Amino acid sequence: MSHTATATTAANDPDSSGARHRDPLFTTASGGRKTKDLIAKVVMWAAFLLALSPLVWILWQVISFGGQNLMQSEWWTHSMRGITTRREGGGAYHAIMGTLLQGLVTGLISVPIGVFTAIYLVEYGRGRLARAVSFMVDILTGVPSIVAALFIYALWVTTFGWNRVGVAVSLSLVLLMIPTIVRSTEEMLKLVPNELREASLALGVPKWKTIASVVLPTAFSGIVTGVLLGLARVMGETAPLLILGPYTKNINFDLFSGNMATLPTMINDERQYLALPAAHDRVWAAALTLILLILLLNLAGRLIGRAGAVKA
Amino acid sequence: MYLLWKAPEVKIQRMSALTLVALAGTLALGACGSDNNTGTTGSNGSGSTGTAGGAASSADCPSGTVSAEGSSAQKAAIEEAISAYQDKCADATINYNATGSGAGIKQFIAKQADFAGSDSALKTAAGSDGKIEQAEADKACASPAWNLPMVTGPIAIAFNVKGVDKLILNADVAADIFNAKITTWNDPAIAKLNPGVTLPSEPIKVFFRSDESGTTENFTKYLKAAAPTKWTADPAKKWSGKGEGKEKSAGVSSAVKSTEGGVTYTEWSYAKDNQLGIAQIDSGAGAVELTGESAGKAVAAAKVTGTGNNLSLKLDYATKEAGAYPIVLVTYEIVCSKAADATKGKVIKGFLESFSGTDFQKSLTDMGYAPLPDEVQSKVATAVAALQ
Repeated sequence: MSHTATATTAANDPDSSGARHRDPLFTTASGGRKTKDLIAKVVMWAAFLLALSPLVWILWQVISFGGQNLMQSEWWTHSMRGITTRREGGGAYHAIMGTLLQGLVTGLISVPIGVFTAIYLVEYGRGRLARAVSFMVDILTGVPSIVAALFIYALWVTTFGWNRVGVAVSLSLVLLMIPTIVRSTEEMLKLVPNELREASLALGVPKWKTIASVVLPTAFSGIVTGVLLGLARVMGETAPLLILGPYTKNINFDLFSGNMATLPTMINDERQYLALPAAHDRVWAAALTLILLILLLNLAGRLIGRAGAVKA
Repeated sequence: MYLLWKAPEVKIQRMSALTLVALAGTLALGACGSDNNTGTTGSNGSGSTGTAGGAASSADCPSGTVSAEGSSAQKAAIEEAISAYQDKCADATINYNATGSGAGIKQFIAKQADFAGSDSALKTAAGSDGKIEQAEADKACASPAWNLPMVTGPIAIAFNVKGVDKLILNADVAADIFNAKITTWNDPAIAKLNPGVTLPSEPIKVFFRSDESGTTENFTKYLKAAAPTKWTADPAKKWSGKGEGKEKSAGVSSAVKSTEGGVTYTEWSYAKDNQLGIAQIDSGAGAVELTGESAGKAVAAAKVTGTGNNLSLKLDYATKEAGAYPIVLVTYEIVCSKAADATKGKVIKGFLESFSGTDFQKSLTDMGYAPLPDEVQSKVATAVAALQ
């Protein structure tokens, strides 16, 4: 009997549990708050899964359709010469090399320009000119890739009357890559502590030498990361390739003459016969190759970035 | 630059060095790449760079690289032709980009393409920009530019109706379908042409080419010529009928494939590749199935309207000839009669000789094209022989 009475008292007086009375900070949440928490949790996870699902789906799709071709050594060592869309076989060698070569040339042109612009902005730039340069870089960041491509087309083809070649593609990619490099390098240089510069200058080292042997080495890994990420971004670019880089099924290492294949244009070419199994598989395989290539660059960038973050 | 390498963090240096080595290594793979796909299919040419290629170049084989651009309707045919020619002449390379007839002609005039593929001959009347295509092309060539009919591609009315394999249409009914005057598959007008076929009551879903297309132009030319009372709009590259737009031949074909009750007009090869139903056309002398032969008959009735070696074909879409499939498209190669670059000229000439040759033309039916009629083919051969 007394047992029941105690239970009833406890039920009627929920506040009797000791912990709540003693320390209000660690109370268990009331029912309403619990539900809110649960709803928030569910919504958050649902949103996360929703955002993730297309990514997983795309990866699954690309790997299941394109994985087959990538397993064949021919894919990495042969071009598409002589292989029509109806035939099996062939490889992406010509397109991979084209993408890499154009990326390399793009990097060779835009890294010096980008890094030196950033050095100017951080170390030397004062007043109106620096503001103008900074503003221009901002504008360049906002230029859509198709506009960059059309600008080079107008210059290269319409004005000079030259043919569409690999270098023209690289030039339009340079326009897209410079602002990313300037911005990332700028951030890295800003992270270099001023004390390092001051210490160097106090020892009587000239400013240019301070920059070259103190500031740049300190920020080196960050700059490399920025460069690789920028490169990964432009190598997946398609608009300039469609306008300036006509496709070929043959290997061509000459950036200054002839058509040069790239992975995006290879996808675009094979895409027109998606109904045929051979072409279908090659489209997905080329897409997977492009994803892998860019993934590798990204990974390299992140690894270098992690290994050598600027230490104060 | 060496100053950079005096960086304090040795670890980073090693890592960047590794990355550089990896990148360099990838590029060094250059030595391993090959254009030689002979081993894989047993019927292909050898490396573009290799003079030591498997297929020995015969004496009349030119070497050089040529870039062409244009019509997507002839892509499959020209790809086969290129492959066959490169088998024979290993040192010749031909690139073809299927960017569309309009783009092909523009790039040819801008001297960006060595020859162009187009679904219609160069226009001799001034266009909307006041420029005459033929004159512009002549100027770009510094010699007359020639239209050479090379491939005839029948246009199929492709459908996807459950339980219907064989469908007969005539021009009037087709015009009504593409104008959305007939909206269901069991419409009496269709049923009348197809006795004994159970047609579902499904609505008809028309798909058309949303991009400017030579196929659309040729198809509407047919509708206008064969059903002038039902189809009143002027033929144009832009679609003037009803329905839902899809991009390129691949777009409309796959749309029909995935839509029950769908219908479209597309090149025969696309309809075949997508395994779509293809309507037979009754022009008054009985239903005609689409075959290389029936399409060839309609092309044979075409008149050559060009002057000299500049050959344009005028098709008779309203033909009532028995056994002729009337909806046909002729695609041209547009070339300079005297090439600016002699090396390229030789490759173009050799390639077109092989492309227009009887042997190759005969193999076209397997791919959904029709060979050139003998009379036209011999004229093309004469013109190709006169190329410089």
